[in-house]
Amino acid sequence: MRGYFDTLKVIVLIALRNLFASRLKTLIVGGIILFGSLLVVVGTALVDSVDASMSRSVIGSVAGHIQVYSAKSKDELTVMGSMAMETPDLTPIDDFAALRRTLLGVPNVKAVVPMGLSAAQVIAGNTVDVVLERLRALARRKLAGEDVQVAYESEKDHVRQIVTVLSAEVDNIRKIQSEKAISQDDLAAVVKAVSTEFWAGFDRDPYPALEFLENRIAPLASDADMLFLRYLGTDVDAFAKSFDRMKIVDGKAIPRGERGFLFSKWVYEQQVKLKTALRLDRINDGIKKRSQTIARSEELQRFVKQNTSEVKEIMLQLDGQKTASFRRLLQGELGSQENDVAKLLAEFFRVEDANFARRYRFFYDQLAPMLELYRVRVGDTLTIKSFTKSGYVQSVKLRVYGTFAFEGLEDSHIAGELNLMDMVSFRELYGFLTPERAREVQEIKTMAGVKEVSRERAEAELFGNKDSEAAPVGQAGRPVDEAEAALRSLAGRQQRADRASQSFDPTQLEQGDVLNAAVIVKDPRRISQTIKDIEAAGGKAGIPLHAITWQKASGLVGQFVTMIRAVLYISVLIIFAVALVIINNALVMATLERMPEIGTLRAIGAQRRFLLGMLLVEALAVGVLFGSIGALLGAGIVGVIHAVGIPAANDILYFLFSGPRLHPSLSPANVIISLGIVLVVSAISSIYPGLLAMRVSPRQAMQSDD
Amino acid sequence: MNHIVSVSNVSKNYNLGQVVVPALRGVSLDVAEGEFLAIAGPSGSGKTTLLNLVGCVDTPSAGTVTVDGKQTGLLGERDLTRLRLHTIGFIFQSFNLVSVLSVLQNVELPLLLQRALSARERRERVLALLDRVGIREYSKHRPNELSGGQRQRVAIARALVTRPKLVLADEPTANLDWVTGTNILNLMKELNQSEKTTFIFSTHDARVWAYASAVVRLADGQIQDRVSAEEAVRAGGLPTGRLV
Repeated sequence: MRGYFDTLKVIVLIALRNLFASRLKTLIVGGIILFGSLLVVVGTALVDSVDASMSRSVIGSVAGHIQVYSAKSKDELTVMGSMAMETPDLTPIDDFAALRRTLLGVPNVKAVVPMGLSAAQVIAGNTVDVVLERLRALARRKLAGEDVQVAYESEKDHVRQIVTVLSAEVDNIRKIQSEKAISQDDLAAVVKAVSTEFWAGFDRDPYPALEFLENRIAPLASDADMLFLRYLGTDVDAFAKSFDRMKIVDGKAIPRGERGFLFSKWVYEQQVKLKTALRLDRINDGIKKRSQTIARSEELQRFVKQNTSEVKEIMLQLDGQKTASFRRLLQGELGSQENDVAKLLAEFFRVEDANFARRYRFFYDQLAPMLELYRVRVGDTLTIKSFTKSGYVQSVKLRVYGTFAFEGLEDSHIAGELNLMDMVSFRELYGFLTPERAREVQEIKTMAGVKEVSRERAEAELFGNKDSEAAPVGQAGRPVDEAEAALRSLAGRQQRADRASQSFDPTQLEQGDVLNAAVIVKDPRRISQTIKDIEAAGGKAGIPLHAITWQKASGLVGQFVTMIRAVLYISVLIIFAVALVIINNALVMATLERMPEIGTLRAIGAQRRFLLGMLLVEALAVGVLFGSIGALLGAGIVGVIHAVGIPAANDILYFLFSGPRLHPSLSPANVIISLGIVLVVSAISSIYPGLLAMRVSPRQAMQSDD
Repeated sequence: MNHIVSVSNVSKNYNLGQVVVPALRGVSLDVAEGEFLAIAGPSGSGKTTLLNLVGCVDTPSAGTVTVDGKQTGLLGERDLTRLRLHTIGFIFQSFNLVSVLSVLQNVELPLLLQRALSARERRERVLALLDRVGIREYSKHRPNELSGGQRQRVAIARALVTRPKLVLADEPTANLDWVTGTNILNLMKELNQSEKTTFIFSTHDARVWAYASAVVRLADGQIQDRVSAEEAVRAGGLPTGRLV
């Protein structure tokens, strides 16, 4: 054994000295290996860290560890990362209680959260409508003899102000585009609305004047009041418990057993907030978080430009008093003599890097308190209209209880695109027949004397066939035909007004349909086994289920890391393939150069394996030495990146990093993988030169003069 | 007398593409233990081929070669290598030292391959031998720091370090000047006498024949004759007597 060790020693010695003798070649080969192992260490550390942080993001926000949905579904489920209006076409699972029982029977399952995903367009109050409504109320009280003169006059001023703003805008559009951009009718309406005669007659008979304003003027002032909302219907309580990164930002959580709506803070800011304020926020973020400057960033310049040209949004909100206050404040701030508030605002929003911070503060401290910063306020009632599965429009009025965000993901649109709604309202919007709904429909039907008509018999029923019989009345909860659906939708609307305050029985949550469910597991390492168990349990319980990992459920986002990983592995593969070829070539050349020496060694009694060992040691020595240096450098780089952190330059990175910065950490696995690859590549690359060396005949040592 | 080497009716053909080139044709030769045998002949006469066969780095196309009682044609690659390692020492025309190893390490190498001795035993034997060939003071030098004669001394030490029964030397003096070559030959001769090691060396230099106990003359792949050194020298028309 000792002799063996001594032989190994001499092999290593020869190998090392050979390497040293051909330094340049060694350095080139070593450099490639060094770079390769550095790349592996840094790359895998980064990807692993992104993977870990992203999984925290995905699992902690909406997806949970596993998503479960009906195996009969047409589409695959993705719960996030899709900007499209369509939501996946899933077959509902009609008994959540049974589903939950089945899932909780699987050993690794900790919690189950019911879910349903949909999207809707929502009308949020038009400023003009709101103001006109207030004026109408005041006019009514004034006519009833109440003393509301001051408020009435102020509101009237406000409406006049709105009309003036609109008139200026109409003029502008006609100037900029063409005379025909505004129809003659609309033009006439605006001209009438600004006229002194119109307002002179207003007090005498306000109702026709108000009607005129509501019907002819308000539509012209539509200030982009359609909201596109994606929402998740769920058991809000269970949701908050299972996704503990969720926190309420404004307002409060939807109380148990209540219908209600929670805005995602991100959506609330981006879509509901006053655009001018949002743009100011964005400029502020650009400067504070991304070290941008207005002077150099085209994006920020665009925001400034939009703010200066779109002051109408603010102008519409100003009544007489506020107009005066704004004039006074802005004149003071700008040191201007200008009387036109629109011009003052435009001037105020023409910010530069030097004055931005001051104006930003001034806006929020002085101006914002007089404005409605959000089109929908916490406590308001939101009318959500959605197309049901069968295609008719369903609408539900829901109270906005507040806004929420996920801890650490506040700025991410991927985590923030979903709003929350109670499951019962979701079902209604989706078109499921809830028991109360079924009762309501039945009442209407009885009232209207409608009888159930099956599709097959429709013709006979309509055109009177003497053989026709009354079709049996269907039971509630059965699939409904379109006529009935339309009827239900129509009738439902009448009674929907006070839905917002309605509560529901918590057992209703349990017993209805869900589209999908998030599963939180006890041991995340056993996800794949748990998925199999869930599908098996579902099959046994007669609920055919698809269970997918959070990666799959998060759609493109979840595959992002897989993609990066693939790119990394491919580049590593290429680098090491190149390394393999180069090491191989270098060793082949070394072998050819050393043919006489190898022949000599063979002649004096070295077995073939000695030579093979020599080349292997040579390759491994280079691999280990430079691979270790590379891994060490890589570890150092990861350490530095860990200390400094990689800033999340955009929204997607913010989500992937699960926060504003990624602090990647090194695991032993990263280094072991790197050295492992290096060793394998070195060993493989010495095979062919080894074979060559083995074929060298000891005759090579002899002088051949024959 | 025991024959350390016995070559019997040996032919060796080399294939050069389609053409078969006969290098040896029906050669028979017995070498007794303790001989200092020269194999002489012009270039292409088959000297090296014969040496390769005797040195077990090649096997005959026909006939038998027996080295230390073993018929080489019946041995596999590994056994031939083992036979070389334990029975034969090699001295090459271009010394063929491992350039990246020191003198001491070069000489020690065959012992390492044998794996028979401890590190201390190896060291003692190597140093004694380096002393014997007169280059002990250079034991830590690399071969390229030595002169040709010194290198050949290292090679001789390497060939003898395993105490082989047979030493084969392929034109050992061809790359040396005459004086150095003579010194090397004297050293080999001394070792031949003191260690009783059999030496077979090839040479085309007639002046070297004088050192041999016998000279086998090869021409055109066949043995012409086997004569005493004196006869050979006489036949070669060279003066007898020792050159020092």
